[in-house]
Amino acid sequence: MTLDKNARLGLLLATPTTLYVLLLIAAPVGMTIAYSFWTQEFVDVTRDFTWANYREVFTDPLYRTLIFRSVRIAAMVTLLTVLLAYPVAYHIALNVKKNKAMWLFLVTIPFWTSYLLRVFSWKLILAQNGVVNSALLWLGVIDTPIDTLLYNSEAVVVTLAHAWAPFAILPIFVSLEKIDRSYLEAAKDLGEGPVRSFLRVTLPLSIPGIIGASMIIFIPTVGDYVTPALVGGSDGAMVANMIQVQFGKANNWPLGAALALSAVVCVTGAACLLVLCLKLIERSLK
Amino acid sequence: MKIKSLSAGLALGTLAAFGASAGQITVFDWSGYDDPGFFNAYVEKHGSAPDFSFFADDHEGFNKLRSGFKADLAHPCSGLIGKMRAADLIKPIDTARLDAWGELLPTLAQLPEVSSDGQVWMVPFDWGNTGLVYRTDLVEGDIDLKMLADPALAGKVSLPDVVEDAYGFAALAVGVNDWSEMTDEKFQEASDFLRAVHKNVRFYWSDQGQLDAAIKSGEIHAAWAWNATELALIFDNVPVKLVRDLEVGVASWACGYVHLKDGEGSDEDVYDFLNALSDAESGKYLIEAWGYAHANAGSYRIADQEAVRAYGYSDPEGFMAESLFGFRVPNEMAAKMLKEFERIKAGF
Repeated sequence: MTLDKNARLGLLLATPTTLYVLLLIAAPVGMTIAYSFWTQEFVDVTRDFTWANYREVFTDPLYRTLIFRSVRIAAMVTLLTVLLAYPVAYHIALNVKKNKAMWLFLVTIPFWTSYLLRVFSWKLILAQNGVVNSALLWLGVIDTPIDTLLYNSEAVVVTLAHAWAPFAILPIFVSLEKIDRSYLEAAKDLGEGPVRSFLRVTLPLSIPGIIGASMIIFIPTVGDYVTPALVGGSDGAMVANMIQVQFGKANNWPLGAALALSAVVCVTGAACLLVLCLKLIERSLK
Repeated sequence: MKIKSLSAGLALGTLAAFGASAGQITVFDWSGYDDPGFFNAYVEKHGSAPDFSFFADDHEGFNKLRSGFKADLAHPCSGLIGKMRAADLIKPIDTARLDAWGELLPTLAQLPEVSSDGQVWMVPFDWGNTGLVYRTDLVEGDIDLKMLADPALAGKVSLPDVVEDAYGFAALAVGVNDWSEMTDEKFQEASDFLRAVHKNVRFYWSDQGQLDAAIKSGEIHAAWAWNATELALIFDNVPVKLVRDLEVGVASWACGYVHLKDGEGSDEDVYDFLNALSDAESGKYLIEAWGYAHANAGSYRIADQEAVRAYGYSDPEGFMAESLFGFRVPNEMAAKMLKEFERIKAGF
């Protein structure tokens, strides 16, 4: 088989990435799949094929609750983040005329601090003697500190929404920026008010950006481990915390692997559902 | 001349540094234990400290070693020794090469985890208590372990996020003072008790700093915690007390150094390090600077007597004899406890 020059170049360009992906993604995923069908016996792993780990994951209400809770928390984070990010992206894309680059640069400021430090700072803000409580006490709004700010699933939602905001702003900005301005003028010429032209032109055309932003936020937050571990308390624990326990303290890698893969399947399902919903919204708006 | 000697000195210094890093032993430890105060004798002899690598909890360290991390010595607590032996990670200690072996507190040296099957598996180093720590200004009435389940303390309680410690606490609360009494019924009773306490738990603490800060601010009124928490808070002038009353229930822990099979350093260096650690001088430093108890009985005689009294180490042997020691349940029950603890924490 002979390849022409373009094909050879293509092969040359794609090979390093392909090898990288095979080595660092396909191989570990393959190992995880293999482990999920094995059995842990104290310190050793028995390599006989079994469905037992999956049976445990799907029949034990504990794991079901954790997976559902993770999906629910991630969905709330996605919704909150997109709602908060959209106006910012809209403003930068359509209202800002000068120094757009600087605005985008400002959006990335949260990234100047490490993710872990941002999570810790939320802990300080929400703590019993933290910023929120101290301010409310000082203002006289409350007499005793509110102790329900931290260590629950709401704290996880707030912290994640803050940490992931720039990821939502950028894709939405790109899709808004791409909109042909003549459509907006046409809507105006045809007598649409600002609200209707937003709902019928701008919003539908920015749905791809919203889908992109939602996926970028939803998928990693379902599996977030650090935030629930630090601000989640016991009722904000998510599935990733349980997976970590299985690979760490519990030393049951097969169960951890089955749990991880089951979570992946659930996340894929939930993500598809999310895209479908957004597509339906897009269609109903047009 | 001056320049010459300077360059000669530099060359020597480089050589020494090179020599030290070449045959260096690696110690796999909790963070903070690279404090040279613990092994001065080793540094004096070798010119530098060994290489350190750190883990955050026993089980994480165990998994790292299992997946091929190479070190010469590790610092687990007694509860992990059985698992390390089963995984064939450690080799027996040659006590004849330990100068201070005979001076170690007998209770520690004779722990089944330390000495069994005619071999010694761990050189005990530090030990202490895990017990009920409470704010003396905020908690009133009779102090006992059952009170942590009292609705009056709702949201004011913290338990350790370590199954061995949490079940140790629950065992004492339901009247088990020796792990051999931990029957299936008692296990059930202990689990039910943990479930009742769970309703009051604000968070399960996994780092001591987090717990100390929460007790200091009044967020947590009572917790099952290490004696290090009591010390840190007393240094900070917070009115707290660790209940050392055997009637109420108190547990003890012991950690030490194991000789790993896969180490690449020389045995000579390993035993130099173990000798430095088990020396009474090392113990004096551990007691005075850290407030922790040391395995060497002699260290209590040479340490500052006021500190020894203040930290409750006047009669270490008598004290340890009756407290619940380590985590000594069959592997099957340990696995069951772990599973149950995760369920309890998740609210099941």
